[in-house]
Amino acid sequence: MIKFEEPIDIWGQISPEHGYTVHGAAGALPFKPLNRQALAMRIFLLVISLLTIYALLTIDYRSVDVAKAAADTLNNLKIIFLQPDTHRLSLRDAFYEVVITMGLAFLTTLFGGVIAFFLGLLGARNLAPKQVTNIVKGFVAFIRAVPTILWVLIFAVAAGLGSAAAVIGMTFHSVSYLTKAYAESFEELDRSVIEALSASGANWWQIVFQAVIPSAATSILSWTFLRYEINFANAVAMGAAAGAAGIGFDLFMAGGYYFDLREVGLITYIILAFAMALEAVATGLKGRIRQNPR
Amino acid sequence: MALLELKNVTKYYAGPTPALAGVSFTVKEGEFVSVIGPSGAGKSTLLRCINRMIEVTGGEILFGDLAVSKLKRRDLRKLRTGIGMIFQHYNLVDRLTVIENVLHGRLGYKSTLAGVLGLYSREEKMQAFNIIKILGLGEQVYQRCDQLSGGQKQRVGIARALVQNPKMILCDEPIASLDPNASKIIMDYLKKIANGMGITLICNLHQVNVALAYSDRIIGINKGKVVYDGPPGKLTADLTSEIYGTESGELIVDWGERYAS
Repeated sequence: MIKFEEPIDIWGQISPEHGYTVHGAAGALPFKPLNRQALAMRIFLLVISLLTIYALLTIDYRSVDVAKAAADTLNNLKIIFLQPDTHRLSLRDAFYEVVITMGLAFLTTLFGGVIAFFLGLLGARNLAPKQVTNIVKGFVAFIRAVPTILWVLIFAVAAGLGSAAAVIGMTFHSVSYLTKAYAESFEELDRSVIEALSASGANWWQIVFQAVIPSAATSILSWTFLRYEINFANAVAMGAAAGAAGIGFDLFMAGGYYFDLREVGLITYIILAFAMALEAVATGLKGRIRQNPR
Repeated sequence: MALLELKNVTKYYAGPTPALAGVSFTVKEGEFVSVIGPSGAGKSTLLRCINRMIEVTGGEILFGDLAVSKLKRRDLRKLRTGIGMIFQHYNLVDRLTVIENVLHGRLGYKSTLAGVLGLYSREEKMQAFNIIKILGLGEQVYQRCDQLSGGQKQRVGIARALVQNPKMILCDEPIASLDPNASKIIMDYLKKIANGMGITLICNLHQVNVALAYSDRIIGINKGKVVYDGPPGKLTADLTSEIYGTESGELIVDWGERYAS
C-alpha cells in the first residue's frame, strides 16, 4: 500500500514562524525585479521625454500665429463636418464612385482569398511539411512587412499608375495577410484528428475538405470580411494616391485640387456610411454563423 | 487463422534506445487482445506500426497476406480502410455532427473527388445510421460532437471505425479519459464487437483489471519488449509487477475483481 515517508505535519513548517524570511531591506520590497529589460525600458522612456522637451523648446514657429492657426483649423473642421455640400459631384455620381471603390475592394479580396486559400494550406503546420510551411510563412511575412501603397507603386512601374496597379498591389498584400490568417485557422484543427482520418484511409484532399475546412469555416469567413473592410479603406486611399478610380479620387480632387471643403465633408460622410453598413453586415453574418454552424 | 503477424518488429526514434525491440506475436481473427505496460513502453508505437502511421525500422508485419511495410501508397490506403482505429481523445471533428463524423470512416473507400465533395451513397448513409442506432446514439445523430459527453464521443469514434467494415480495430487507450461508468459501456461494446461481429481488437489499456476482465489474451510490454503473452487467467500478480517493472504488491490492482466478473 502507499506509504508516506515523511509525516504530513512537517508541511506546516513552511510558514513565517519557521525561518521563512523575506530577504532584502526592510520597507522597500520591490515586487518587480530590476532586470536588464526593465532598465532598458526606463532609459528609453527617459531619453524620449528629454527629446520631446528639447524639441518643444527649440521649435521654430516662424510667423505662424499658433492661436490663429488653431482657430482656422477648427473653422475648417466645422465647414467639413457641419456644412457638407456638393458642387461638382452629384449624389448619384458619388454613390456610383463608392460602388467602384467597393468593387475594387471586392475584387482584391476575392483574388487574395483564392490564392491565400491554397497558400494557407501549404502554410498550416498540421497539413504541410515543416520546411514548406517555413518557406510560405517567411515569404508572406516579407510581403506583409511592406505597406500596401508601396506594392501598388512597385507594380505601377509595370502596369502604369491606375486601377491595374492598384488591383495587383492590393491583391498582393491581401494574399500575404489572408495566408497567415487562413493558415492559423487551419491549424486550429488538432493534428490528432487528421491522424485519425488518415488512419482510416482518407487522403489529404479529403481530409482538407471534410475536416479542416468545416472546422475553420467561421474564422476564415471573419478573416476574409475583416480584410474586405481593410481593402475598402485601402481602395479609398489608392483612388487618391495611385489614381485608381473611385470615391478616393474624388476626395483627392475635392481636397487637394479644388480645395472644396464642403465636398470633402460630404464624401467623408458617404464613406463613413458605407463603412458602417459593411461593419453591420459583417457583424450580422458572424453572429448567424456562430448560432447556426455551417 | 492468423489475421495479423508481427515478426521481430523493431522501431528506433532518434537516439539509441529502441521504442520496440524485436516484437513478435500473431493475432487470430476475432480475438480481443489487450496490450498493457507502463507509459512509454511502446504500446502506442506498436499500434501505429500495424497500420503504418509510423514506419518500422526493422522486422515484418503481415496483415492477412499483405506485407504492411512494402505497400505502395494506393495499397496502403486500402490496408487502412480495413483497419479501424479509436483513440483516447476520440479525435472527432468537433464542429461536425455525429453522422458526418461517422461517415468520415467511408472516405477511404472513395475517389478523391467524391470524398472532397462529401458524396456518400444511400447504402453508406443507411449503414452509418444503423451503427449509430446500435451504439445507442439514435437521438444525437444530428448533434454537433462538441455537445456530447466523453462516453458518447467515444461511441461516435467506435461508429466511425465500424462503418469502415474493418477486419480489425486498433484501440489506443479507449477509456483512459472516461469515468468508470462510461468506461464499462465502451468496454462492453468493444467486447460485443470482438465476440459478436468477429472483428479483431487490439486494445492498449492502462487498467490491468479491465484488461483481465474483457480480453481473450493479454500482451505485456516493457521497454519495447514483449514480457508476457498469454491468457488473462495465467497473469499473476508477480508477472504484472514484472511488466510494470515494480516491486510486487505495490500496484493498485484489484485482483478480486477478476473472479467477480
